[in-house]
Amino acid sequence: MIKVAIIGCGKIAESHGAQIQRIADCKIVAVSDREELMAKQFAQRFAVPGIFTDVSVLLHDAQPDVVHITTPPQSHFPLARQCLEHGSNVYVEKPFTLNTAEAEELIAIAERKGLKITAGHDDQFRHSAREMRRLINNGYLGGPPVHMESYYCYELAGGYAKALLADRNHWVRLLPGQLLHNIISHGIARIAEHLTTDSPHVIVHGFVSPFLRNLGEVEIIDELRVIISEKGKTTAYFTFSSQMRPTLHQFRAYGSRNGLVLDQDNETLIRLRGARYKSYLDQFVPPLEFAKQYAGNGYRNIRKFLANEFHMKSGMKFLIEAFYESIRGTGPVPIPYPEILRTARLMDAIFSQLPRNFSPPNAAPAKSC
Amino acid sequence: MSNLINHIEADSIIIAQDDQILVTGAAGFIGRRVVDHLLSKGFRNIRCLVRPSSNTAELLRIIESYHAEAAVEILAGNLLSRELCNTVAKDVAVIFHLAAGRGEKLYADAFMNSVVTTRNLLEACRANRSLKRLVNVSSFSVYNNHRKPTGTLLDETCPLEAQPELRGDAYTFAKVKQEEIVAEYSQKYSIPYVMVRPGVVYGPGNHNIHGRVGLGTFGLFLHLGGFNTIPLTFVDNCAEAIMLAGLRPGVDGEAFNIVDDDLPSSRRFLRLYKKNVRSFHSLYLPHLASYLACLLWEKYSHWSQGQLPPVYNRRVWQTYWKKTRYTNAKAKERLGWKPRLSTSKALSVHFESCRKNQNHD
Repeated sequence: MIKVAIIGCGKIAESHGAQIQRIADCKIVAVSDREELMAKQFAQRFAVPGIFTDVSVLLHDAQPDVVHITTPPQSHFPLARQCLEHGSNVYVEKPFTLNTAEAEELIAIAERKGLKITAGHDDQFRHSAREMRRLINNGYLGGPPVHMESYYCYELAGGYAKALLADRNHWVRLLPGQLLHNIISHGIARIAEHLTTDSPHVIVHGFVSPFLRNLGEVEIIDELRVIISEKGKTTAYFTFSSQMRPTLHQFRAYGSRNGLVLDQDNETLIRLRGARYKSYLDQFVPPLEFAKQYAGNGYRNIRKFLANEFHMKSGMKFLIEAFYESIRGTGPVPIPYPEILRTARLMDAIFSQLPRNFSPPNAAPAKSC
Repeated sequence: MSNLINHIEADSIIIAQDDQILVTGAAGFIGRRVVDHLLSKGFRNIRCLVRPSSNTAELLRIIESYHAEAAVEILAGNLLSRELCNTVAKDVAVIFHLAAGRGEKLYADAFMNSVVTTRNLLEACRANRSLKRLVNVSSFSVYNNHRKPTGTLLDETCPLEAQPELRGDAYTFAKVKQEEIVAEYSQKYSIPYVMVRPGVVYGPGNHNIHGRVGLGTFGLFLHLGGFNTIPLTFVDNCAEAIMLAGLRPGVDGEAFNIVDDDLPSSRRFLRLYKKNVRSFHSLYLPHLASYLACLLWEKYSHWSQGQLPPVYNRRVWQTYWKKTRYTNAKAKERLGWKPRLSTSKALSVHFESCRKNQNHD
């Protein structure tokens, strides 16, 4: 039985609680939040026996095997370090840390202590994303990707966006990459997974959208275009936008033989055939093939729903399960450490090139790749 | 006190006209009407707390209409800040606490914006010796309508939801917990309070058809209310009741349900809406069918471990779609409240507003 603790009882903790409850042979034994009421309400709803406001006391009293850190990103590093030093394995919600230096230190501690650590890039473990990984690993692209395109968009609506725009001291504004820092790691991690070098060349163009400018917002960059290239090897485009519609969450990978298009919103994976048909057949056959593929994706989604495998956070459950397996010693860590570090380096490189309309008080200096 | 008019007499209220009043959520749908009523009764030392993201245009218009700009304070802030709570609660005689996490789907958000905020305000009240009353605006949703016969009268003596986490609704969970913490602080620290539980508050500014009538979630409007009475209260009537709950003597620790007189059935409301606002197709789902649908949803949600969230279940059905009777007798008797606008007149005003809003869209 794996004993689990959760630190931080905000929004994302609810998803963690719900998914952990679906996993066999583990139990949430303790929760902690600086606000005791938040810890209590979480404990009541998820039947957690241990309620704490002090992480040190939690670690001492509950002795968790694994700690999920679901606090705002500024506290990820000190909390994860504290848990690792105590001897607990750690699942850190995205973004993993504020910068690469922190990520390197956490991974070094985990390795030194013989513990496991992972980042909350759960989107990479949804059904279609796993199928895409399987196809790429089996050589469907014809080798490593020649080029990738990752779209990770966000609609600035709802309570979170309203609070962020209205509050000049909102914690998201204090991140080195502000709004981008809190959102883009899912999309960046998809690219990082298929790169092989640690320091690709990164060119960044970011700006405040006209929509936000009209609201008087000058600090929050909500439009981002990035070009990433490994010398003589793979290249990638990354796009973040709050304004383009639809708000895409797509990942496209093109190899020397074929391509793949992952659409997270529709949970579809479409194969792009590299070879051409002859003459007019190239206009007649592919549309029918695409129709067949989309129908197959729809059928698969319905089948998975009926089989009770299509939860909104199915990727998170898979990632947590795989992480726990690695803790038990029956599997590898679900996200290789070089991939976590590559994601952190790419994010540092992006944020270091953004126009700085605002200087967060405690931001660590970004590293350039 | 000479400015006090209409129903309020100087000797029948617990504060003086120049005492400091705090209204949280003052820019909201009900909050700005509470401010309006207070101003209309001659109160001027009103501190209005609004969220930084609130649209204050309507609140400002109300204040200007009484030429009260100089006296009425508007503060933008979040009750999650204890410092702000201490500031806004300082020297206040009555607090009308309307700020809440409405429309939040996640428990953490709803809880933080309704319960943690209220606790912070209550903590600030502990140091305030001049506080004579806190009016906590709650909701009908806190009642437990489980295992009661059809047609039961829902009044203030009915039990509250003991296991709000089973309702599948973050708002209800937060509201029950909010009431609990108000009662706890009152008991521990002798903070005087009154609980106000409005029914379905409607009027200009809230143009949605309430879920008690039916749901448009699945593309076709499912009419679920049938001949059930809808516990409506027009926003101005409700705001006046809230104001009186803060002013009347001898009601500390009491709860008041607020509904108007001559309440329409769901069927009648829907018919009038279609006639006066817009026509659309709806499908009536008999009570047995809607109950079974909720039961099925509940069982599937549990079996599937949340593949469908447990938002429809038997407790929800019993709260929203079981035939229930309502009363405002206690509010009338103890607060001296009377819905100033009749339901027929209020519905006309509401539908006209809906029509205008639709044309505007």
